[in-house]
Amino acid sequence: MGNRRRVVVTGLGAVTAIGTTVPEFWRNLTAGVCGIRPLSLFDASSYRTQTAAEVREIPDGELSPAESRRMSRADRMGIAAASEAIAAAGLDLSREDPTRIGVILGGGTSGLLDSEEFFARHLEGKKARPSRVLNHLPDAITDRVAQHWSLQGLKSTITTACSSSANAMGYAFDAIVSGLADVVLTGGSDVLARLTYGGFNSLRSVDPDPCRPFDRERRGLSIGEAAGILVFEEEERARRRGAPVVAEFLGYGVTSDAFHMTAPDPSGAAGGRTVRAALASAGIDAGRVDYVNAHGTATPQNDSAETAALKTGLGERAREIPVSSIKSMIGHCLCASGAIEAVATALTIREKTVPPTIHYENRDPACDLDYVPNEARAADVRVALSNSFAFGGNSTVIVLARA
Amino acid sequence: MPSRGVFTGTGAVCPLGRSAPEFYRRLLAGESGVRPMTEEERRGLQATHVARCDGFTPQPEIPPMKARRFDRGSQFAIVACAQAIAESGYEVAKDPESIGIALGTGSAGAGALTEFLRVLLTESPEAAPPFHFPNTVANAPASQVSIDLKVFGPNVTVTQKDPSALNALLFASLAIGAGRARAMLAGGVDEWNPFYALGFDRVSALRGQKRASGIVQGEGAFAVVLEDEAAARSRGARGLARLAGLAAAGVPTDPYRFAPDPDAMTRAMSGALADAGVSPADIGLVFPSRDGVDDMDAAEADALRRLFGTPPPEIEVKRAIGEMAASGGGQLVAACRAVADSGGPFAGSGRPRRALVNSFGAGGNFLAAVIEAASGEAA
Repeated sequence: MGNRRRVVVTGLGAVTAIGTTVPEFWRNLTAGVCGIRPLSLFDASSYRTQTAAEVREIPDGELSPAESRRMSRADRMGIAAASEAIAAAGLDLSREDPTRIGVILGGGTSGLLDSEEFFARHLEGKKARPSRVLNHLPDAITDRVAQHWSLQGLKSTITTACSSSANAMGYAFDAIVSGLADVVLTGGSDVLARLTYGGFNSLRSVDPDPCRPFDRERRGLSIGEAAGILVFEEEERARRRGAPVVAEFLGYGVTSDAFHMTAPDPSGAAGGRTVRAALASAGIDAGRVDYVNAHGTATPQNDSAETAALKTGLGERAREIPVSSIKSMIGHCLCASGAIEAVATALTIREKTVPPTIHYENRDPACDLDYVPNEARAADVRVALSNSFAFGGNSTVIVLARA
Repeated sequence: MPSRGVFTGTGAVCPLGRSAPEFYRRLLAGESGVRPMTEEERRGLQATHVARCDGFTPQPEIPPMKARRFDRGSQFAIVACAQAIAESGYEVAKDPESIGIALGTGSAGAGALTEFLRVLLTESPEAAPPFHFPNTVANAPASQVSIDLKVFGPNVTVTQKDPSALNALLFASLAIGAGRARAMLAGGVDEWNPFYALGFDRVSALRGQKRASGIVQGEGAFAVVLEDEAAARSRGARGLARLAGLAAAGVPTDPYRFAPDPDAMTRAMSGALADAGVSPADIGLVFPSRDGVDDMDAAEADALRRLFGTPPPEIEVKRAIGEMAASGGGQLVAACRAVADSGGPFAGSGRPRRALVNSFGAGGNFLAAVIEAASGEAA
């Protein structure tokens, strides 16, 4: 381990329903502000629920009007978050070797909202704009980010549903450790679309009110959208250039539940394997973990299974540390959730403050950990996990630490 | 240079057959799986040809009752992965956490996605069939494989244009190098979908009546088992081939455009050779990316001449199976079998048993791999 290249996070960018810059997002996150409101992006009157954590205004400062017209909302949010992260990292990309800088993101619905309109017109036999038809291919955003900053390294998009961007960060970590790249822009951007909104509604897993993770009365998730971009950098070069190191990415665990396409393993055995794989990758014991940023979707099944998984993976330590779900404020941002929650986890380490789980009122005997109810808490978090679980049983846990 | 892993098994479900040996035999025989589209497939398109897995049945790998639970892409993937595991002799049940899966795809989930949206948009959100929604995700095939074969290790799906399968192989080799798994299923899967075909047709990507330059779409699944070399040796496994080198190069360009850039293609190929610690003279066979997009094919020919002077003999795979995100998996399976084949393209040639695999796609996404004989006779 001694000579292994290490990976640090040197820049963060965030576009969410409760803030379209990192400082605004963090201020509202620690103030317990809820971004789940009536949906305005499309007509939701015929759906079972009508709320979502929607981004009302995308900061397009980086783009010309022509560029922003050509791009999907996901592209624009991703570019905005990447721009903030690059600036925060103090990187002048025009002075770097572009072949050593990669882009590895989690892919989501991309421009599906536009494709849905094409599809609807096509099905009605009407003429439709062909330029919109392939907009939903999930790898577009990765190519757009590389194009915007003229980067020439490895480009990859991970498409593992709700763990996409967590796995993208893991891939970025392995790429830097192995010497394939020195810097990787990683994370993800995922936006609201009728498919995912209708899909979770059809599965009856959406709460008509803002979601209540870990609460006994929880009824399902709230859908959200976000972009979270992190600059991953090889540590020695980051130190050499005096980069503002936010946290170290210590390692990650990725496993298959091999259980069911949508249901988590209620025993916690599968999720426990992921936690243990993450600890092994990071080379630490459970006793070093100070905080868990939970997947915490607020579906009845997830939150109890995740609680069981933490007990299996961390043993007694699970009962001693805070565990919170920021989905109570920004909703489930699907393929970007791992990324935006990693941004929040890195900030938790830097700012020594744990964001709360809001809308928490009733203790559930199946969810009996410390969920940081309703108010942020000061805590000297040195090592933190962030969990992401997906359809297909694709489970991923990342480990961030004070550098 | 440390080995990136050894290939111990291969599997294929494709327009040229339903197993890796059949695919490889028919490929060498010069057969093609490309055929004219049916009237129904052609509806609304200017494209004329397609390469599909006609007559595919999921049996015997998947029993009939069970097969009904999987969409077409997942069926392809389960069959190809089961074949690869069977050839490798890997005992998954002995240590399910030691093996994972990484597949590349450009279209997995398309059937479920378009059907779910069709009902949602034309009837109502309430009428949309819930059982389709979980299968709209691109990771459905890889995850169905993990559930069916009880694979507990890393499980990812990669989507990055035509070279998605080689990108998944890169993820797999990094996962093995980092100790996340001792073995990984790697490869790609795609299913032909009429709405996706319409999209590619409209952005002028498909060859047809109005367009001489363009791809013919394919479908299918390809899988290899990549294993840590020491672990494979200790279980007494016979390696078919070795992953000697792998490299990527990106060109900053619009996601839906081609970047016919020979410099970047050369960077990917030279990177793979450098990663393998070999020179151009050590390559005895090339699997070019050539797929019918004229300026991309010309740029690749240029890049190959620059690298080799006179390039080694070639085997064109996409001519026979079409183009898709999974096509690199087909080239990879063919390369593994070629370097292991005593009577194949290397027989009596005196050329090094080492192949270069190029996978170059839209959006400026280029990957290249070097595959060599596992038996030490590569040099």
